[in-house]
Amino acid sequence: MKRFAFIALLLSSCFIATAFSQQTITLGFTVSRTGALNVDSVEQYRGFELWRDQVNAAGGIKAGGKNYKVQFASYDDESNSKRVQQLYTRLILEDKADFLFSPYSSSLTATAAVVTEQNEKIMLTTGAAEEKTYKLGNQCLYQMFAPATQYLTVAIDALKAKDPKATVAFVYEDASFSVAVVTPAKAYAQQQGFNVVFSEAYAPNTTDFGAIIDKVIGSKATVLLGGGHYADGSTLARQLYGHKVPLKMITLLVAPDSPQWAELGDAAVGVIVPSQWEPQSTFKAQYGPSGADFGKAYTAKYNTPPSYESAGGYASGLILQRAIEQAGGIDTAKVAAALNATDVTTFYGRTKFSTQPSEHGLQVGHAIFLAQWQKDKSGKPVKQVIWPLAGKSADLVYPIH
Amino acid sequence: MILRRPLLWLILLLAALFAWLPLHGNNVSLREDLILVALAIILTSNLNLMIGYTGYVNFGHIVFYGLGGYVGVYLMTVRGWHLVPSAVTAGFAVSLMALLFGLGILRLRGAYFALATIGVLVAVQSFVSNFEPWGRSTGMYVSFESYAPLGGPRHALWTTYFLIVAVMALSLILSLGIKASKFGLGLFAIREDEDAAIVLGVNATIYKAIIYSVSAFLPAVAGTLMFFKNGTIDPSIAFEFMLSLEGIVMLMLGGQGTVAGSALGGGLYERLRSYLLTSPRLSEFHLVIAGALLLLVIRLAPGGLIGWLYRLVPRSREVIE
Repeated sequence: MKRFAFIALLLSSCFIATAFSQQTITLGFTVSRTGALNVDSVEQYRGFELWRDQVNAAGGIKAGGKNYKVQFASYDDESNSKRVQQLYTRLILEDKADFLFSPYSSSLTATAAVVTEQNEKIMLTTGAAEEKTYKLGNQCLYQMFAPATQYLTVAIDALKAKDPKATVAFVYEDASFSVAVVTPAKAYAQQQGFNVVFSEAYAPNTTDFGAIIDKVIGSKATVLLGGGHYADGSTLARQLYGHKVPLKMITLLVAPDSPQWAELGDAAVGVIVPSQWEPQSTFKAQYGPSGADFGKAYTAKYNTPPSYESAGGYASGLILQRAIEQAGGIDTAKVAAALNATDVTTFYGRTKFSTQPSEHGLQVGHAIFLAQWQKDKSGKPVKQVIWPLAGKSADLVYPIH
Repeated sequence: MILRRPLLWLILLLAALFAWLPLHGNNVSLREDLILVALAIILTSNLNLMIGYTGYVNFGHIVFYGLGGYVGVYLMTVRGWHLVPSAVTAGFAVSLMALLFGLGILRLRGAYFALATIGVLVAVQSFVSNFEPWGRSTGMYVSFESYAPLGGPRHALWTTYFLIVAVMALSLILSLGIKASKFGLGLFAIREDEDAAIVLGVNATIYKAIIYSVSAFLPAVAGTLMFFKNGTIDPSIAFEFMLSLEGIVMLMLGGQGTVAGSALGGGLYERLRSYLLTSPRLSEFHLVIAGALLLLVIRLAPGGLIGWLYRLVPRSREVIE
């Protein structure tokens, strides 16, 4: 009897050990800890980090009867594509990364994709909105951001609903991302019947917009679309305000999404930014935390509200976690099949990847928001979601002044 | 006679080692490390032709690499050319352009020349940023189909690696050949005292324009190979001023004016940066440590590592040129 009890105990302990067997899963990526992409890239990293800490605190990813604790392997890519292939090769072959996240920016991601494709490793991309990257014939990329073409086309949709007779000027940074956004937007504006009266690209380090602003005034444009990154975008907004340019709507890329934008005071008010995600968005999450819970946890950890880069980072982890759970393990082919079948709404919005061979992995579920800086009751500038109308937290203020 | 020079055989041995080491055991990580070392050696040894041999500081040397990348990637992705003819054509096209620029700006001397080279870099970058066939600021992307003629991305990357190693060997042999030639002697005369060289019958303008053009050829070929491997090219990565400055630092570290110095400086600097970047303990401080070490070397060995070796073992001059 005693022997039987001993064997039963031994068997049950084996069973318990199997049921809770701990495994580790390694996720590899590079972060631009130095260089021009530093701010956005680190915000994206914080999203990854918060997700990892929460998953591990909850015991890891539970799939196929195993618990997978998440660990990271990451290097500084110096915001430069020169070293990206060396580092991703190292992540795959030496650090034995099971899955990969992309670097920040489309250009660095396209470079990393050559290596991930070669090694047939799944890479979830965030901060890589440029569509071209997903149309090169790859099979292992999955895009979390809505594609770049949407950034300003939604602003044109919002404008059409408010003032279809507006005259439009495009003033934008002469850099990869903004040119990729503005080129299709210009064609879309014309297609929607708008008169594009002025279009000019400025050098990335421009600090004096006087000449361009004079041309905008001369063109009699009532709406300005464009911008680029923080330094040029904030300077442009300040100088537009200083010159009292009679614009009814200003939409700038990237820069106004930053909490720092409020420091511009009255020049900040009225400016619209296309965004991948906003804290006010109220998606009913089918999977993972609510937007409010994510925002609270993020602010508690980093003492600053999350940006859309951070949300994109966190959501990448979440989508990968869900795919691993559905695949019942970390087998690449099974996880890829789960990602291909993904159609889910999280706090970040809907996520669905194209499975067309010509654009595999392109994001087709997620949509761009528009947020506008408006004054709250105390006169302080705050960001409000104004588009899509179904998810708005305030009405579009048009004209601005 | 260049064949009698021991350094030639050392260069060939180095290239053979570069080719064999990663191939042995199919070590892809080592290949990725070594390709960056080879690129650093290519850029440094060609820069040495201007700075070390002729005494003209070229801050815009990276323009050759970037333009070569653009011409080559354009020929491959838009015109459907094969990798090798694209790279060679890029080399000739950029050399020709350098010759034309050179005839203009090489009439300047000292700081004025150095400033003009920065001007060339900025002008070319602005032109490319607005040049529609090359994708303006968004650049060009290499589709996965472009790797197909070389057997897909996996084989294409190996082929590119061997070609880069060959370009590295050619760069060093070119440096050695010029150093051993009468043409090289003319360049050294210009470096020491340009007016005296002219009096002695050296056509300084032509000599300088030729070497400026020659120093563009192999970096342009390397540009095509590297950006093909990279999968994408845009003006910000093709014409990165920092890479130009790093080239000068590598040259000073190894020892300007010497063939072995440019290889040593390029190789050591690249390995050091790579090691610091991936080291779990030091990666947070990699830029600080690299900067401090460079200051130390330049302070203690102003002639670079090769200059220090010459002082330590004077007879090494006969072998390590």
